[in-house]
Amino acid sequence: MKRFLNTTICLLLSLSFCLNIFAKEYEISEIKDSIEGIINWKKLDNGSTPDGYLINNVFLEQAGTTPGDWFPIGLGRYGYPDDYSAYLAVIREVVQERYKTPGKLHAAKSTEWHRISLAILAMGGNPTNVGVDQSGKPINLIADGSYDRGKTASLGRQGINGWIWGLIMLDSMRYPIPDGAFYTRDDIIVEILRQQLPDGGFALSGNQSDPDISAMALQALAPYYNNETAYTYTLAKTKTEVTKTVRQVADETLLILSKLQLDSGDFHSWGTANVESAAQVMVALCSLGINPQTDSRFIKNKNTLLDGIMKYKMPDGGFAHSFTYDENNPTSLPNQSNNMATEQVLYTLVAYTRFKENKRILYDFRPEIPGDLRGKINALISKINKINGNENALMAEYQSIPDSEKSYVYNYYKLSNAVKIAQGGSVPKIKEPVLVPIQKSESVKIDADQIYSTGEEKGNYTTKIPETLQKSESEGAADSEAQAETVENIVFTQADVEGVNKLPAALTTEYYTEVLSLIYKLENSEDFDKKSEFLERLYSAKGEIASIRTEIDNINADVIEQLYPFDKITLWDKGKVDSIVARYNKLSDYDKQKILRVDDILKTKTQVDNLLRAIIIWSLVVLLIITLSLIVSIRIKKRRKQKMFDKMQLDEAFYEDILK
Amino acid sequence: MKKDLLVISFIILFVVVTFRGTKIQSVDEYYLTHIDDIMPNSKTVTLSIVCDTILDNYDRLDPQLKSDKYVPSDGIILPPTKYVLREQDTVYNILDRAVRHNKIQMEHQAPHLNSYGSVYIQGINYLYEFSCGPLSGWMYRVNGIFPNYGCSKYELKDGDVIEWLYTCDLGRDVDCQWLGIRESTSICLGGDFN
Repeated sequence: MKRFLNTTICLLLSLSFCLNIFAKEYEISEIKDSIEGIINWKKLDNGSTPDGYLINNVFLEQAGTTPGDWFPIGLGRYGYPDDYSAYLAVIREVVQERYKTPGKLHAAKSTEWHRISLAILAMGGNPTNVGVDQSGKPINLIADGSYDRGKTASLGRQGINGWIWGLIMLDSMRYPIPDGAFYTRDDIIVEILRQQLPDGGFALSGNQSDPDISAMALQALAPYYNNETAYTYTLAKTKTEVTKTVRQVADETLLILSKLQLDSGDFHSWGTANVESAAQVMVALCSLGINPQTDSRFIKNKNTLLDGIMKYKMPDGGFAHSFTYDENNPTSLPNQSNNMATEQVLYTLVAYTRFKENKRILYDFRPEIPGDLRGKINALISKINKINGNENALMAEYQSIPDSEKSYVYNYYKLSNAVKIAQGGSVPKIKEPVLVPIQKSESVKIDADQIYSTGEEKGNYTTKIPETLQKSESEGAADSEAQAETVENIVFTQADVEGVNKLPAALTTEYYTEVLSLIYKLENSEDFDKKSEFLERLYSAKGEIASIRTEIDNINADVIEQLYPFDKITLWDKGKVDSIVARYNKLSDYDKQKILRVDDILKTKTQVDNLLRAIIIWSLVVLLIITLSLIVSIRIKKRRKQKMFDKMQLDEAFYEDILK
Repeated sequence: MKKDLLVISFIILFVVVTFRGTKIQSVDEYYLTHIDDIMPNSKTVTLSIVCDTILDNYDRLDPQLKSDKYVPSDGIILPPTKYVLREQDTVYNILDRAVRHNKIQMEHQAPHLNSYGSVYIQGINYLYEFSCGPLSGWMYRVNGIFPNYGCSKYELKDGDVIEWLYTCDLGRDVDCQWLGIRESTSICLGGDFN
């Protein structure tokens, strides 16, 4: 009976496999077209041009926020030439400013550190040394956002995503954890593992797996997929103790994700079919070396994850979040290109091209694997696929690969299982995936000196190597922490000189990002004739703009403090109101837009002016009446006097007559 | 003589009475300064701000916030209050007006700074997202229904009742059962998993 069942399942599986194989496969050139389409969409969205930078001044206003950091991550990992140093210049300032607040980047969300660090790495910067804090100490985002985060608040204060992204960030350069740190790597790994749900996946809350969080957990666990370490821990939900390897947990998560995938290739995240869930799952698969276009577990009704993503592509090149339209809310426009959807699709497609081109996975920012080692890894992968009683030889070959690169032997699990069976052991009861062998592509050789190409041929860029490793390649990331900020010399071009000369005498906050990036370039450029003079001018411009920014904040705070509640505004407040209005009028037109609720300022100003005008008019009227009354009374008095005089004269005349 | 003075003071009194009762304003100025006054024919909406779920989860609250100043003993930061509905007002506009008029602290993120294109309310009365556990933050409902989009995208109509509610469990403790995790995460946790 059991055998019969097994045969039936096998038959059904191979049947579904046969059906699925007809799924349309996207060529890498099509994927790259979509990537370039997204970049152009975002450029136009920013008010840039297709030939201009995506990272322009409008975009840089968002540095340090979700939409401001994920595009740089996508661009950098694709190797697209853009204004990387401008991003690094602005993010350094943003981080320094935010470190002055009590919560630093955020009181609760450690993911602020993770996202910003990944963006800095993608732009070629060093997240272990980003400016200085108030005490003059260099800011180390990696330490503060992962292994030492617990000294301020739990890494998971905001939930499981804090642990997940903390691990992704920590492994982005395989940062070592120093002695005396708050968390060890295993602490973070176990914290993720113990939050696994009974159905195999992960979620922010509740008992049902959420595709996004499950996929993100896989992305974090991917570097540990080949580890044979079994962890013993107590599950958070069921309070039961289990002993599992990362691979066992990841396989269970893959299984539930496969089950959750819809016939259209995408996913429901709690009721709404959307593009981001499919994007996250695709990044997870690429991180594990699973080809999302050929693995039968993720092809449904001939639709792959890519089909599930591409269906959200809009004619303008961007991607929609969902097609669920809410009649009651015509302003929410769900079937329009959406920023979050588009930025996630960008880095997902980049993750896939990296996978196809034999580059490091999306969140592994170390320099590329040298060509000969990559060749050895690929050869081992195809040998494991044809494994046939030679497991011991293959295992020896696997052991000869450096530990730090073992995770790139994506199908090691097959070898591991074969060894276990040969030794008479059993392998975990997880459904063996029907894998279409990964297409062998030629290993790509990366020239270490080449930072990024000028992009003559579309999509043929080389990723920028993070500066942390440029100067200390032999020492690796281990010493990155102690390392001072070292950026390759940037050339301060004639255009930059003109940029400094073009700064207007009356500066506005509009020039803030431009001044910051000019300073960054100049600080990192080689000495030239007027360097110190230019630097001087730029520092003073920065100071001037900083004081305008402070003034804007102060006006906004004073408005709230002094102008409300409106019905309590009397003439006594005229001084305050007038001073706020005067300060507002002093600002440039650009900066005026940054003052909130100008209508309320205007309203208050009108109110006090009207009160004053009423008093002036009223006093004038009173004055007029008093004057008039005085005139009238004087005239009356005069007339009376005249009458008396006339009467007296009459009397006199009368008496005179009588006397005569 | 005395009779004259009496007449003059009468005139003054009359003028004072007349002018104190009337403001000297143009029509535009009148409309501007009375825009938020509730008249018999004004369109209005009602707004309240409540954080009573924290009272049931007090142990999870950030210790620095354990004070009546931040969490009133009845959980009511602003009782239902009527506001005049201006043309095209959104839930965000009314909240902004209400907190300004009542001098309640509020911090928000502008639509272009988050990924879902709407104003996101980070904190009210110093209570922020995650202040009371990993699933806590501000949500809103209109006429008892939780919309699945941001507050600056919700245009209001006459008579709407808006409630800003602090949740400690992604909406489940404020009777929001159906809202997807993505939506409730967007609305009360800022929408970003990363």
